[in-house]
Amino acid sequence: MLCDKNVFLGVENLGKQFPGNGTPLTVLENINFEAEDGEVISIVGRSGCGKSTLLKILAGFLKPDSGSVFFKGSRVHRPGPDRCVVFQEDALFPWLTAGENIAFGLKRQIRDGSRIEREVDRFLDLMGLSQFRDYLPREISGGMKQRVALARVLILNPEILLMDEPFAALDAQTREEMQELLLELWGQFSHTIVFVTHDVGEAVAISDRVIVMDKNPGRIKDVINIELERPRRREDVNFMRFYSRLYKLLRD
Amino acid sequence: MNDRLIPWVLPFTVFLLWFLSSEMEIVPLYLFPHPFEVAQSGWSYIFGKIGDEPYAGRFVYDLAASCTRISLGFGLAVMTALPLGLMSGRNRFVHRLLGTSVDGLRAVPGITWLPLAMVWFGIGIKTTVFLVGMAAFFPIYLNSATGAREVDPLLLQAGAMMGVNRFNAVFRILIPAAMPSIVTGLRLGLGISWAYLVLGELTGVPNGLGAIIMDARMVGRTDIIVVGIFLVSVIGRLSDLLLKLLLRFCFKNAL
Repeated sequence: MLCDKNVFLGVENLGKQFPGNGTPLTVLENINFEAEDGEVISIVGRSGCGKSTLLKILAGFLKPDSGSVFFKGSRVHRPGPDRCVVFQEDALFPWLTAGENIAFGLKRQIRDGSRIEREVDRFLDLMGLSQFRDYLPREISGGMKQRVALARVLILNPEILLMDEPFAALDAQTREEMQELLLELWGQFSHTIVFVTHDVGEAVAISDRVIVMDKNPGRIKDVINIELERPRRREDVNFMRFYSRLYKLLRD
Repeated sequence: MNDRLIPWVLPFTVFLLWFLSSEMEIVPLYLFPHPFEVAQSGWSYIFGKIGDEPYAGRFVYDLAASCTRISLGFGLAVMTALPLGLMSGRNRFVHRLLGTSVDGLRAVPGITWLPLAMVWFGIGIKTTVFLVGMAAFFPIYLNSATGAREVDPLLLQAGAMMGVNRFNAVFRILIPAAMPSIVTGLRLGLGISWAYLVLGELTGVPNGLGAIIMDARMVGRTDIIVVGIFLVSVIGRLSDLLLKLLLRFCFKNAL
């Protein structure tokens, strides 16, 4: 049913089990949803609900035990630069500078050195990283590292950005800065974003739609459309309303 | 105290004690010669004209012979231990296949191979190269295996997502990520190479830094023995520095 070309990203009857001690643990069960081109979807849930596993399956790092993921009509079965991931932890290459990390994926695609340089410069500038070009990852702050992580995938012009709690390790202020930056970039590039988080405020601030997940087994509990104009303000009454609704859903 | 001076405090103290004990002849000079005599012999050994004195001017030839043996033995060890180590670190089957055997062989002290090597290869370059290669293999193998095993899978996933295939991932991600451990293995391997070089050369080859030490013993030239020991230590240290520089030049995060 989902295999038709009109569906941008389709997840169909997805299930995943991990072999536990004796009895296998069902991590995901019967997951179904679709995402439109340019949509921002958040997946929220308590830890252990399988949201990161779901993202890894979307990326093609893990294979589902049942069901499938379709991207523009074809089945996802391996990772690729059209579906890029920004990881939670530091997944930059520690032996490369910020500039070289950003150039890494592009070098696999084009050979023209001066074009790569120009693109890297453009993205360094866009991320406010220009003066950190020659720094190694261990020499820059957590927020800066995540900017590099974002830049190294955006430069590949992916159609979907998969984000696995990318700002969870940052302090509150930096986290909000990064959320704003992400939306700014989204306005510019209009790629689809699937954003995994356990932070309800973050989900309300950025998403068109929030998928709330249950745990044991990981299932979709509810889907909520965030009908709020952008830019959104956290002190807004309607923002609060969505926030408390999601908060209650998660706690029950 | 000046930071750059600290490493020289200990050598200088030892030298001073040596000098004083020689001056006062606490140790008989035929057991441990006077530092000035050693310096003089060393000078003649390195810079002297061949024929002036039994050991004059032979250093260059001995150094060349030793360096050839080290390069061959160490090179052989790197070429086998590095790929095998990386494979055993990443692949469970290879690890199961090699692990026990490598650990078993590792338990055999390197010197134990000497008699067999002499029977197999005779006296000469092959025995030394075999001993050096054998000794350098294990630290390189073990450290590259550990390095490869501990590479964060996230880095390999990130590479795959940016379009790196499995073959290229070895050179683009696996080796650079494991480089700090690989460097440790290479440095330990090169260090032990010098030890086994001298051992191999003690067995009756005509040239090499180990040969000169053994030769000097037979004619009772303790001064030349001390010169030999000193030169092995200096050259060993220099080769370690050279290796470090080379790797730092190639891999920024290596050290």
